[in-house]
Amino acid sequence: MAKTRQDRYEQIKRFEDDLSQCMKCGFCTFWCPVYQEERIEPSVARGKNMMIRGLLAGELDYTKEYAERLNDCTLCMACTVNCPAKANIPNVIVAARADAVKARGLKFPYSVVYRWLLPRRNLFGWVVRFASWFQGIFLPRTEGTIRHLSMFLSALGKGRNIPQIAPRFLRQMVPVVNKPPSGVKTRMRVGYFSGCMTDFVLPDLGKHIIDFLNRNGVEVVLPKEQGCCGAPVFLGAGDFETGRKMADANVKAFEALDYVISDCATCTSALKDYAKFLADTPQRKEAYQKFADKVKDISEFLVDVLKLPSSAYEPSAKVKGKKVTWHDPCHLSRHLGITAQPRQIIKSIPGVEYVEMPDADRCCGMAGTFSVYYYDLSKQIADKKVASIKSTGADIVVSGCPGCEIQLIDGVLRNKLPVKVMHIMELLK
Amino acid sequence: MLEKKVISKLRKILGQKAVLTAKEDLNAYSYDGTTTWVHMPDVVVLPTTAEQVSQVLKLANDNKVPVTPRGAGTNVSGGSIPIKGGIVLCTTRMNKILDINKTNLTATVEPGVVLQDFNIALAKQGLFYPPDPQSFLGCTIGGTIAENAGGPYCVKYGVTKQYVLGLETVLANGYIMQLGGVTVKNRTGYELMMLFTGSEGTLGVITRITLRLMPLPPANKTMMVIFDDMAVGGQAVSSIMASGVVPAKIEFVDNFVIRRIEEMTPMGLPVEAKALLLIQADGSPAAVEAEAKQIVDILKKSGAKEIKVAKDANEAAKYWKMRSAGFAAVFSAAHTVLAEDVAVPRDKLAEFIRKLEDISKKSGFFISYLGHAGDGNLHPAIFTDIRNKKEFDKAQKTMGEIFEAALALGGVLSGEHGIGLEKQRFLKRAMDPVALNLMIKIKGILDPNHILNPGKIWEEAKV
Repeated sequence: MAKTRQDRYEQIKRFEDDLSQCMKCGFCTFWCPVYQEERIEPSVARGKNMMIRGLLAGELDYTKEYAERLNDCTLCMACTVNCPAKANIPNVIVAARADAVKARGLKFPYSVVYRWLLPRRNLFGWVVRFASWFQGIFLPRTEGTIRHLSMFLSALGKGRNIPQIAPRFLRQMVPVVNKPPSGVKTRMRVGYFSGCMTDFVLPDLGKHIIDFLNRNGVEVVLPKEQGCCGAPVFLGAGDFETGRKMADANVKAFEALDYVISDCATCTSALKDYAKFLADTPQRKEAYQKFADKVKDISEFLVDVLKLPSSAYEPSAKVKGKKVTWHDPCHLSRHLGITAQPRQIIKSIPGVEYVEMPDADRCCGMAGTFSVYYYDLSKQIADKKVASIKSTGADIVVSGCPGCEIQLIDGVLRNKLPVKVMHIMELLK
Repeated sequence: MLEKKVISKLRKILGQKAVLTAKEDLNAYSYDGTTTWVHMPDVVVLPTTAEQVSQVLKLANDNKVPVTPRGAGTNVSGGSIPIKGGIVLCTTRMNKILDINKTNLTATVEPGVVLQDFNIALAKQGLFYPPDPQSFLGCTIGGTIAENAGGPYCVKYGVTKQYVLGLETVLANGYIMQLGGVTVKNRTGYELMMLFTGSEGTLGVITRITLRLMPLPPANKTMMVIFDDMAVGGQAVSSIMASGVVPAKIEFVDNFVIRRIEEMTPMGLPVEAKALLLIQADGSPAAVEAEAKQIVDILKKSGAKEIKVAKDANEAAKYWKMRSAGFAAVFSAAHTVLAEDVAVPRDKLAEFIRKLEDISKKSGFFISYLGHAGDGNLHPAIFTDIRNKKEFDKAQKTMGEIFEAALALGGVLSGEHGIGLEKQRFLKRAMDPVALNLMIKIKGILDPNHILNPGKIWEEAKV
């Protein structure tokens, strides 16, 4: 029996320290974006942690309600960085999602989707699309890479203000190897993890990043074998098995390269999280850790690795004379500790006025699949972010995560705010 | 178990989304900040108006269903545990600040306003509400009234009860009663507001609060003082208090807590120090300078090993952050932590610390303590494991000895946490029996069916 229980909660057990560190002070209520909207204890880290303890103690079981409470967390980590005991409850939540998937199969998280979606008028029409999306994740095509986000986005597009799927994907626009133009000395060769969003929705951003790097002496390789980072699959849904396949594919795709650059905070963080969540063998652990060390966020790469002089940051035509504010993606700020680099870049651009927004690092409420399960809640969280943006009087809100950008675009349009949403690299010439 | 018809009536009163019945959700309302008490409610309700609270109480009273009122559940007395099941009435969605009056220096709030949110709103207008339980990031103002909470600032500014000017309270029968008003002085009959302030949810549900405010002190200075001997530190506090200076805060942290905090969040604390005092002076810049100088002089004469005056706000904030991590430092140190809340007269602090050292030696239990030295209010903690019955019983017995030592010095059972469940077995020894009986009679008048937070404060007669 004891052995069965051990197996049953294999992933949770790996984060037992985090689970037991919580001493129920309740300070997390102040920082949790979900609690701040719902104001109920099951929303917040303390409540979720106690629920998982209840599961381990045999007092609770895998029910619809359990799944729901496990899912309504953005994994923003605000609880963790502010926790006096530094209990990382998001770790426990991801692990609990994984154990639930393993115990109950894939049906578990998706039954929640249906339960949440079906009764909602504006979401109702998407269900059919979702069915195909799930298929995309869980019945991956055996040939080629695992891709799913395009379906996801076309579903989202029906209800939200988001950019359209691009007519041509990035991988169709540029070659695998992109060398600096003649006359520019090649300083370095890097791999570019383009991420689903950049590839399918924002290929011009990807092209722009490649050009910028080329002009600064960086050869950019875009391995065709790369796939989705896996964040919605292993972090969002807890499907570690599929996550491992995705991880292995990506690690292999970038094997020959010393750096892996990403323009998406979520991807960057997820790629680095392979080692923490998905390493089930010593071989994988080593490979994932080695891979994690190579992965760099684009702003981190420009500032810390390439060490570009401030003169390299020239404004693009559309941002000259504009007031700009920065939104910290959770995956950059709290997950990876990258807060100074993007600000340094923006402040270096001549003719651009930087203004800091209040609570710049507060979650925007996107959190990938979270915003699909809990669209109303996600909108409420976004509205607080929009109020912060509004208070700065900025013309442009900049971020380093296409996921946040979708949410911010939706937020400013719903609130009729005359503010443009851009990726930090779009500021640069 | 609650009858289905009661739940469906609750849904009618509050709407579907404000009534929680799933086991997973009930589980989230079964605990508080203590490590020993757990009990599930049958249902959780989240009202947004006094009228809804009134209807819930009427329904509960008619059906004799227990109601445990609570805010954010950051209390450490067991007070918000629904020990008899029934309804948990949670006020966290009643969180509007209704009025801030800068001229009258008052504010009116709903009970679910979080203390930190309140102080942020006040600071924007140069105002300040001093009572500062260290759970300020989570605790609701309604909860602080019901517990009559205190914190570091209380040395100079007093505890919650000194700030309550008006209360709207829903009685067990559903009547919405108004008490007090918005004036600083009010001598109209008995001070009934004080009956509800500190009532731990046993007499009524507070639905609106009017509080007295202060102007935000323009300057402050923080000192971190290291001692080789804890009792010498305690004596230094008495000397400061006797010198005519009243600092805003005098906090005490022992070596164990210093080490734990440094272990959890390295911030360069003096881990070899036996004890630390954190002292803050506040007021006008000139007064702060003069007071700080006087305090430093006394500390030097009192045997302080080292005095660090914070150079700027950042350094001061670092020290205070350390203090607010104290709770976590203690409560995460063992499976079961018995952390108490005794207060002794301020001139008896050194003597009490010596007593604690004796008790520790005799019982073999390590006793850690931190607390509000300027108030004579310490939180001695014993680390144990409730799963080991023999050891746990011994720990409880040792805690009993600590209470006795405090009482013998003219102290009290609880300085600021309240009695709840955690301390009720000691209440008889700490109160005049006639006063205790009067309290129980008052409860009987206001709540004849004993629906409001039953089983709390005093031990019930065994049937």
